[in-house]
Amino acid sequence: MSMNLERENAALPESQLTGTRGIHVSKILFGATVISMLVSFYFIFIYAAEEKTMHAAQKIFYFHVSSAWLAFMAFFVTFVFSILFLIKRKRIYDMYAYVSAEIGVVFTIIVLTTGPIWARSAWNTWWVWEPRLITTLILFFIYVAYIMIRQMDGVWDKKARLAAVFGIIGFADVPIVFFAIRWWQTKFHPIVFGNGPSQQGGGMEDSMLVALLLTITAFTILYAYLLYKGVSFEKMRIKVEQYKEKLREKMEQ
Amino acid sequence: MNLLRTACLLAKKDLYSELKTKQVLLTQIIFAALVIVVFSFAFDPANNTTKAVIPGAVWVIIVFAGILGLNRSFISEQRNDTIQGLLVAPMEAASIYLGKFLANFMMILVVELISIPFLFLLFDFKFNGSLLYFIVVIFLGSFGFIAIGTFLAALSANSKSSEMLLPLLLFPITTPILIGVVQATRIILTNMEKFSSALAWIQLVTAYDVIFFVVCFLLIDYVLEV
Amino acid sequence: MMNYEYMFGAYSVAWVVIFVYMFIIGRRHDKLKKEIEFLKQLDK
Repeated sequence: MSMNLERENAALPESQLTGTRGIHVSKILFGATVISMLVSFYFIFIYAAEEKTMHAAQKIFYFHVSSAWLAFMAFFVTFVFSILFLIKRKRIYDMYAYVSAEIGVVFTIIVLTTGPIWARSAWNTWWVWEPRLITTLILFFIYVAYIMIRQMDGVWDKKARLAAVFGIIGFADVPIVFFAIRWWQTKFHPIVFGNGPSQQGGGMEDSMLVALLLTITAFTILYAYLLYKGVSFEKMRIKVEQYKEKLREKMEQ
Repeated sequence: MNLLRTACLLAKKDLYSELKTKQVLLTQIIFAALVIVVFSFAFDPANNTTKAVIPGAVWVIIVFAGILGLNRSFISEQRNDTIQGLLVAPMEAASIYLGKFLANFMMILVVELISIPFLFLLFDFKFNGSLLYFIVVIFLGSFGFIAIGTFLAALSANSKSSEMLLPLLLFPITTPILIGVVQATRIILTNMEKFSSALAWIQLVTAYDVIFFVVCFLLIDYVLEV
Repeated sequence: MMNYEYMFGAYSVAWVVIFVYMFIIGRRHDKLKKEIEFLKQLDK
């Protein structure tokens, strides 16, 4: 056990831990999130043109797509930091990978709940077995499994290593899942590119596009804020562990 | 070459110890038989529409019986800490993976060889597709499933509750394979006119097998670290 | 029919999820802070 703790301590030099700069960054990111969210709200509800057949329900689209974007970005970040961790073996990369995956799961939940609500209003059914929906569901399960690996007991670097490996495999799997489901859904006639029957084409008004891009920007800033918060929390947790160990040594003397 | 030789040695060791106890293989076969019996309760074998679920049933049997074997393959090494022995032995992690993969693959092939004819027999399924392609599909599907399964079994063996963790890791990752082989099996068993799309599915599964076999080979060093 | 109920439902669900996540993060922080306080007490 003490060997594990030694490894914990060796992982992160104390000089790297929180300072006053950290609080500023956090506040700036929080402010930027709030402002950009409010701006995107204005554009979603007031500026953007209303869709003719779905009316207000179409407004779900902005949040739905932005959450999906954020989730995919978060998983991509997990993938990149997993590779970085396996090469460099620095604990900070592992923290970024973990926090990013957690945020990704949260926003996948949003995608998976707003999706059916939209489907209900547009197609009058809660769930359609449609390629993107199923891929998102599988993605959700993959990253829940990723978090389950993190909940294992043991030394941090073992967990980090295994989770990084799974993060890489899971991300590599996503495109294959998507194509497999797309083939499956097109009634056994393979198509690789182009629009299948269940995929509606584009056709968006400019005002809608502006609102969508702004919402995506707002979500990206929110992601940056959450990631920063999560990582600084993880750092603090390690600091507490180190502190505990110091105390233990003191008491033993 | 050395890699392959040590892998074969390891697979032989696993298969010998399995032949001695017959614990896992017997469990897998009895489990497969039980799944068939449960299927006969769920879907009336006398009903003609039941024929449509046979391709799915084949893969349900393979997947669940396979999981039983995969769970054991690394856990059994942990009981007497023999996994440490394997790790410090003068061989690469890749050959441990390859050896375990070969042993698991052999075992699942035996299970399939017994349980699939049994399924067809009990459900009175008249086989009128192409036997050769059916075997190819079963082979490719099991190959991919066991390849990634062995890898994830090595990964989850580090957990105390690895029996519960493994299915959670394995099922989402193998979705493309499961979709592909079930579709291909269905076309080959019931509707040979659409054979061209079955070939497309076989290609997809083959591509998946190759990609993940290579990825597993590259990443196993990180999983099986001392 | 303007479909307002669907829009309202979707947005409230999304925000509930985000706030629950924020709440969970906040609770983790509080727990850690309590632990720090406790350790400081021990250290004295």
